[in-house]
Amino acid sequence: MTTYLIRRVLLLIPTLMGITLLTFLLIRLSPGNAALLKGGGGEGGGKAMTAEVREQMIKLYGLDKPPLIAYGDWIARSVRLDLGNSIVDHRSVAAKIGERLPLTMSLAGSALILSYLLAIPLGIAAALKRGQIVDRTISFVVFVLYSIPSFAAALFLILLVAGGDYLNLLPMYGANSINAPEMGPFTWLWDRILHMILPVVCLTYASLASISRYSRVSMLDALGQDFIRTARAKGLPERLVVFRHALRNALIPIITIFALELPALIGGAVIIEEIFSLPGMGQLMFQSIDTKDEPVIMGVTVLAAVVTLLSYLAADILYVVVDPRITYE
Amino acid sequence: MNADAPSSREIYSESYTQRIWRHFWSDSFARNGLRTIIALFFIAALAPFLANSHALVRVDDGQVSLPIFQSLEAIEWRFLLYVPLAAVVYFLRGRFVIRPGLSFLGVVAVVAAIEIVLAVTHPVNDPTNDRDRPASFKLMPLIPYAPVESTPDQFAPPSWKHLCGTDSTGRDIAARMLHGARTSLSIGFIAQSIALLVGVSLGGFAGYYRGWFDIGVCRFIEIMDCFPTLLLILAVIGLFPAQNNMFYIMAVIGLTSWTGLARLVRGEFLRLGSQPFPQAARALGAGDFRVITRHLLPNALGPILVSATFGVASAILLESSLSFLGFGMQAPTPSWGDILSDARRYIDFAWWLAFFPGLAILITLVSYNFVGEGLRDAVDPRLKVK
Repeated sequence: MTTYLIRRVLLLIPTLMGITLLTFLLIRLSPGNAALLKGGGGEGGGKAMTAEVREQMIKLYGLDKPPLIAYGDWIARSVRLDLGNSIVDHRSVAAKIGERLPLTMSLAGSALILSYLLAIPLGIAAALKRGQIVDRTISFVVFVLYSIPSFAAALFLILLVAGGDYLNLLPMYGANSINAPEMGPFTWLWDRILHMILPVVCLTYASLASISRYSRVSMLDALGQDFIRTARAKGLPERLVVFRHALRNALIPIITIFALELPALIGGAVIIEEIFSLPGMGQLMFQSIDTKDEPVIMGVTVLAAVVTLLSYLAADILYVVVDPRITYE
Repeated sequence: MNADAPSSREIYSESYTQRIWRHFWSDSFARNGLRTIIALFFIAALAPFLANSHALVRVDDGQVSLPIFQSLEAIEWRFLLYVPLAAVVYFLRGRFVIRPGLSFLGVVAVVAAIEIVLAVTHPVNDPTNDRDRPASFKLMPLIPYAPVESTPDQFAPPSWKHLCGTDSTGRDIAARMLHGARTSLSIGFIAQSIALLVGVSLGGFAGYYRGWFDIGVCRFIEIMDCFPTLLLILAVIGLFPAQNNMFYIMAVIGLTSWTGLARLVRGEFLRLGSQPFPQAARALGAGDFRVITRHLLPNALGPILVSATFGVASAILLESSLSFLGFGMQAPTPSWGDILSDARRYIDFAWWLAFFPGLAILITLVSYNFVGEGLRDAVDPRLKVK
């Protein structure tokens, strides 16, 4: 197991290098650079900078170096955990990410937990009543939910319950009300929760659909095993057969698919943050792509890649932890 | 036993394709999904005739004219003329064997004639409409508005005049939806075809030749999979802007969503390659190309088709997300995502701007997903959980 883990972790390094190199080349090969965009004045706002200042800026951020050498510099800095400063506002990339990460993670995290809490009972119910009306209804509803684009659902929820002509129960956008700084901690938290309900719902229903479909199949698989017949034959009550024998085995594959859901949720959070104007990672990525803020784009990419790779790794480790029959020897 | 179950003799003589088709067709969701998709494609193809500000036929003082044909752009003419041409070629394919050279020349001549006529007659961009112009007789299309045409009715809710309402500049949403079907469906289809081409060839070669090429492809897939697809596409389009270019959007979506297919094809080729039949083919003197295209690929076709069907659905979803975020097709080009992004600004009162395009996307995605699901059950009945 230890050797397996070491090998897996070592394999992360070339993958991460590949991801960062690809992103870096993408930025460098695209027309224009941050200094030109920033100093251009005009549309981007702000005053035009002189050619001299622009030259200085290009030198300072290594924008004139050949891409591969600049990439080498970036790697050399990053291994010392220094992601550099934003070209646009000169603040440290780590700090910029740090202030936005909690929002995105709490969004994706609560959506993940919520969808598991709802999906597993739905999947079990469908599996136990397989082929009956309950199963078919759940399967159909879940299938349709799976096909609704999250942004369309977001628009509808806003229209129906947030600030539209119909019900005005929830705030329409933002992570907090304008007067949030003056609130006490509990009112602030309540305010934040109210603002988060719609984004979390929009993120939850899609992964709810895939997890519940998955848990139905997994539960059916477990119920078809020989030991279930044995358990029934020896006269165990159905409740014990289902919850103690079948469910425990059915949960193994369900737990591990969180690794597939988490990156999808982070990707989905991008569009949801944009719709609800939430200051999270997605918005940061949008802004930095718009201004070609190379260090910020690189920082966000590395973070997204690390989260994805680590969740894959965690899934592989969880397999062994929850199912002693599997080993990586 | 249901009525259309085949007799035992038919089961023994039916081909693989027939068996898949029979399984597929017996699933009512899949069947209706396929019907809906075909209907959507027809609507998309006929969009200029269903929604247009020009009359189909008008008669002025005994003079008959067809104004609608003057309003068609070159690309619409191509579509109208080449699809029947392709159909004719397809149905007459058996007869071409007699004089293949001559038939080929004939097709080339027809294509050249069409192109020359199109090049000479510039598309007439006629801003007038036939709605208000009196005539002794006129037959308007079902929806008498062009998709890019602004009318004085802004934010009109759905009524008999504007079936799906109008937007901020008074454009008819029903007309935009019909024409938007072309954008969404064709981007979904072609983007997934590109993904299919890249995924099948990279995955196929990796699975067939193994070794270093395989390792390289697998690493590359792993790297691509670490980017959330939407984020990657946004980065590419954000960094290399070429807005309102349908082919660019198709290429970007296609080139970023092939990894699932490549994994699948690689796995299938690894599995099939170690079976005796490709070896037998090689022993009979078949080259690599022949083994891949004639022996391995047909055997992997089922799962590829299933994955590609789901892929079309996700490409349509990606396109509409991009247009929604303002990175894809933009006004005046009609697209469902673009109508939705317009809806965002006026969501507090203009529900019809969000409802109709949202419903259209939903119906399309559900249909494709049902077809994919039905195909999966048909291709591999063992997976069927009933």
